[in-house]
Formats: sequence, structure tokens, C-alpha cells
Amino acid sequence: MLRYDSTSSSAGSSSGSLSSSSSSSKPPQQDIDGLLAGAGYKVRSSELRQVAQRLERLETAMGNSPADFSQLASDAILYNPSDLACWVDSLLTEFAEPPPTCSSDFIVDPVNNQTVVNSAWTAAEPHTPQVHQNITYDEQQSLDNQLTVVTAMEEDSGIRLVHMLMTCAECVQSGDLSLATSLIDDMQGLLTHVNTVCGIGKVAGHFIDALSRRIFQGMGGGSVNGGSAFENEILYHHFYEACPYLKFAHFTANQAILEAFDGHDCVHVVDFNLMHGLQWPALIQALALRPGGPPLLRLTGIGPPSPDGRDSLREIGLRLAELARSVNVRFAFRGVAASRLEDVKPWMLQVNPKEAVAVNSIMQLHRLLGCEQTRDSPIDTVLSWIRGLNPKIMTVVEQEANHNQPGFLDRFTEALYYYSTMFDSLEACRIQPEKALAEIYIQREIGNVVSCEGSARVERHEPLAKWRRRLSGAGFRALRLGSNAFKQASMLLTLFSAEGYSVEENEGCLSLGWHSSPLIAASAWQAVPAWDNHMSSS
Amino acid sequence: MVENHSREDHETGGENKEKRPKFFINDHVDILIEILERLDGRSLCVAASVCRLWCTIARNDSLWENLCFSHVSPPPSSVRSVVLALGGYKRLYTGCVRPVRSRLGRVRRASWAGDEVQLSLSLFCVDYYERLGGSNSNGRLVEKSSPSSLMFLCKPVNV
Repeated sequence: MLRYDSTSSSAGSSSGSLSSSSSSSKPPQQDIDGLLAGAGYKVRSSELRQVAQRLERLETAMGNSPADFSQLASDAILYNPSDLACWVDSLLTEFAEPPPTCSSDFIVDPVNNQTVVNSAWTAAEPHTPQVHQNITYDEQQSLDNQLTVVTAMEEDSGIRLVHMLMTCAECVQSGDLSLATSLIDDMQGLLTHVNTVCGIGKVAGHFIDALSRRIFQGMGGGSVNGGSAFENEILYHHFYEACPYLKFAHFTANQAILEAFDGHDCVHVVDFNLMHGLQWPALIQALALRPGGPPLLRLTGIGPPSPDGRDSLREIGLRLAELARSVNVRFAFRGVAASRLEDVKPWMLQVNPKEAVAVNSIMQLHRLLGCEQTRDSPIDTVLSWIRGLNPKIMTVVEQEANHNQPGFLDRFTEALYYYSTMFDSLEACRIQPEKALAEIYIQREIGNVVSCEGSARVERHEPLAKWRRRLSGAGFRALRLGSNAFKQASMLLTLFSAEGYSVEENEGCLSLGWHSSPLIAASAWQAVPAWDNHMSSS
Repeated sequence: MVENHSREDHETGGENKEKRPKFFINDHVDILIEILERLDGRSLCVAASVCRLWCTIARNDSLWENLCFSHVSPPPSSVRSVVLALGGYKRLYTGCVRPVRSRLGRVRRASWAGDEVQLSLSLFCVDYYERLGGSNSNGRLVEKSSPSSLMFLCKPVNV
């Protein structure tokens, strides 16, 4: 399995989410940490957290001031590196870090939280006064600091929150709603002790909301999914800007489509979710510049109908047409308005038998998965008419998560892990208001996964392995995405200033993840000719 | 390098009759263009503030075209019409090529040089498309007035 990882190695990750492994909060028997001693470093186990935090600050300081760094390299004074704590401190003073600004959100009022504070600290840290001092100092870092420091108490509260969330989900699954309700109240109280601006607190807040909606409003959950199409487009657009997942999806799919269209003069792209059409300018430009000249490009965009009579699909089509005209690509657009993908019939797409067809589905196929596996479920219907179109390529991008399990607790656990990873990656984004609106977009997904059931639950994500089985069974075979797509994806990730994204190649499919947890997977498929069907279908 | 030209104003006085007229770069625009073609982006912007003649020359898109393709083999001729339609080489360079190159330069993979320009072109095209939306629509479709698909390339500003 090929792997390109753009992370820089740092001493542990920052926020208290599930995806990061926290440094040891229970000290071992000896005072000096055994593992580091084996590497030649003398660090007291009780100081591990502080040293890790200071190493992170040192790394930030080095990254922010490359000029100082080179000076440091030339003045080679050794500060006894085996005593890691002092060494890091002396380097930090070299960088002359400005004193961090005070942030009152972190400092917990000791009067109210006496019991919580004391129990956490006496259990975890033997050198209580020293630890208290250090943590208060670290608590004062500004909120803008990307590597937000998590205090011992906060992390403890974070872990308790997670446990309570799981217990509450279990109660919901078993039907014990009274206990679930009291747990919700407890969790909301605990939330006040935790920083809800980032890290586990923020994600937990969303999950608590979703759980309480499930308990109190029943499982219709209409308000979660009921945002207007216009709102959804705006949130989607900000999600596109704030993080690379959609850009990765678009660029990878475009590369595959471009390669599949090689040598064809009449091409037709069917987009299952047009939105603002942000995927297509790059494809139009690539087709304009391909050797041999551009083909005739037809684009059929599917999207929800606009409520107030304006034809948003047509407006997007006009915009794309203008772009195509500027770069001399013959272009024709057709909009198909449908509120659900299963309402689309193949005759609406008006596919010409002589043209090369590409079907593009960015996070749409999972909406067709119903809860019951009946023979004529929407996914089977749609897959069979896609196959009937005989596309040159079908690009499928889906969330790499298992959010369609029948058991609620399993689903909840998966979602908690998945979305805390995603929120972690979003911390790295600094552009506002994109970040805030992107979070609302993700929040809506969480709400749908957790608090909706039946036909209201449309976010039925399934992992790539399941999609592979499903698509192979429906008469498709996988196309390898190729090294160009991989190279382009790697470059795109490097452009994002956060170093935590990684692209992996997995049997011809590409997946993008945060710190090697895959979050979104892209694959390409081709219809197997009909006469092969009786041999290859399962 | 190009600061060695002297102003004709300073030549008044007794010295003028004794010396030959000094070389004044603005009289030799072809040489000036040759020199400006070899500057990097930042120097070219600085050069554009020197005088009106330099400004006119520095605005010439072909200088920026050289910058965009300085590390790669010359592209096919079809690229020029596309880039000009999408906003020109200067915009392509300042908006896409330069930030892309500086960010990817940290990773230092030589094989990426040509792909950097291609990726820049794609991002440039998305940016053009967003700008289309801002000016053409009746305002209800695009909620932001300025295109922001390239925002992720901008360095965060420390106030």
C-alpha cells in the first residue's frame, strides 16, 4: 500500500480527541520514563506532558522564525540534550518567545469545580503544586495558537464526556430514556468545564445536541435535514473552501475522467449533485488544453429543484457555458431537477449512444441505501440504469466511514470517532467565516447520522470495502486511479498549510485522511459488458 | 544591476561639456526588456514602480509568462489563449503560480515542476469561475462578493 504522508513528526498531537493518543497520565513506578531512557533521554514521567507541550511550542517557534533557526544552527552550543526538559526550555528562551496572552476560557474557577479538579489531579500527578503552576502558565496561550494545549483536568473531563456519551447512546439503544435524559443533563454540565471552542468539547457538544434531539423529538428529525437547498449550497461551498476533502474529490475525479475521455470527440458528463458546479471549471480547462484539442462537452447536472421559481441549475449552466466559451470548448448544459436521486430516470439524461459518458457521484450514492435490503432498493435501481448507460467511467467519492450499521451504539461510536477526526483537521483552517460554516455543515451530517431514522436518515455512509463489494456485485469493475491522480492529490495536500493530511493508495483507489485515519475515499469504475455478467455476478 | 543609469537632469553644469552622454537605459528599451524578462516576480513588481516606462513594460503579460514557465519546458501554444481568457499571466503568477511554487518548494520534488504549473492553471480556472459568479449573477446565487477558492493559498496574516 503506497503512502504519502505530509505530517512532520511531532511529539504527540494536540487536541484531546479520540484520534490522538494522550501521553501517559498515570505515572509508572520509576520516576524516569523507561522508554525514553532507552533512547538516551532522561525525562521524569511526571513531566512528560510538559515536555511534550514545550517541544510543540519549540517546533512552532522554529517554524515561525526560520531566520532564528539558522542562527541557532550556526551557534552550536550544546545544552545537555539528555536532560530533555532543560534543553527544550533553553532553546525556547533562545527564540525569545513573547509571553502568551491570558485567555480566561481555560482557567477554571477553582471554587465551583473543587471536587472535579482535586480528584483529577491527585490521581494523576504526584507533584501537584509544580504541575498546577505549569498548567496555568500553559493555559494562558492564545486561542489562535494552532497547537492548543490540553490541560490534565480538561483531558480528564474530555474522557469522562466520551464515556458518558457512549453510556447515553447505549441507553438510547436499549430504550432506557430516563437514564439517557439524566445523562444528557450531566453532560451539559460537564461541558462547561471543557473548552468548547476546539477539541473534544466542540465535537461532544454536537453529539450531545444530536442525542437530545433523538430522545426528545423522536426520530423524524425533520429540522436537521430540512435546511433549504440554498442554505445547503452555501454550507457546502464553505466546506469546500475550508478543508481539502471536496477539492481532493473534484481533482481526483476530474483526472480520472480526463484520462477516460482520451481520444473521444463527443463526451458527456453526468453530475449527480451539481451544487455550484465548482468541479467542472478545472475539467473544462484541462479538456481545452489536451493535445488534439477539446472535444464537444455535454454536462448534465442533477440537483434539487429551486423553491422560489428561479432556476439555479440553469444559472450554473450559464456560468459554466461562459467559461467554456472563453476557453473555446464547445459546451452544452442540461439541468435535471430532482429532490431525490432515485427519482431520476435515464431518459431524462438524454445520453447519445455515440458519446463517451462519465458518471460522477460525489457523496451521493450513500443516500440511496435504505435500511432494509430489499431486492429493488433505490441503490440497485440506480446502479442498474447507470450500467445501462455503459459509461466509460463512473467516479465515486464517498465518506470512508461505517455509519450504516443497524445497531445504534455501533453507529454512534463510529460517528464519534470519525467526526472528531474531521473536526481535528478543521482546526487547522484559519479562514473565517468558512471554518464556522463548514462546521455547521458537518454538524448537520452528525445530526442526521445520530438523530434520524428510516427515510429521514440519508447519511448512510459505508466504507470503501463495502462499496467495492456492492459495485462489483452490480456489474462494475474497478479502474485504477493512476499515478497522475496520486501525484496531483499529494500536491494539492501539500498546498494546504496544515500538515496532517495524508493521501493513501489502496488497490487503485485513493483516500484522503487526517493523520492516517482515512476520511474520504475516491474510486473509479467501469461497467462490465453484459455478456460477462453471468460469470462475474455474485 | 539596473541602478547604474543616471538622470539627465544631473548632467547640467560644467561637467556636461567634458563628458560623453552617459548610457541611459530608458533609451534602449529592447535591452531593458531583456533585463526585466529575467527578474523574479517580486523584483518585477518593484521595477514597475520605478517610472512610467518601466511600469508599462512590466505590465506586459509576456514577461509574466516567462516567469510562470521559467522552470519548465515551454508549453504548447494553446495554453496562452486559455490563460489570457482566464485573466492573464500576471494574475496567474501572483495568484496561483507563486504561492503554489513557494509552498511546494518546501517539499522539494523536482518531478513536480511541470505539474505545479498545471495545478496552478486548474486553481486559476476555478478562481475565474468564481469571479464570473460574482459579477454576473443577480446576487442571490453567490453569497460572497469576492472569490475565495484561492484563500487557502494565502499566508495567514499575523496582526
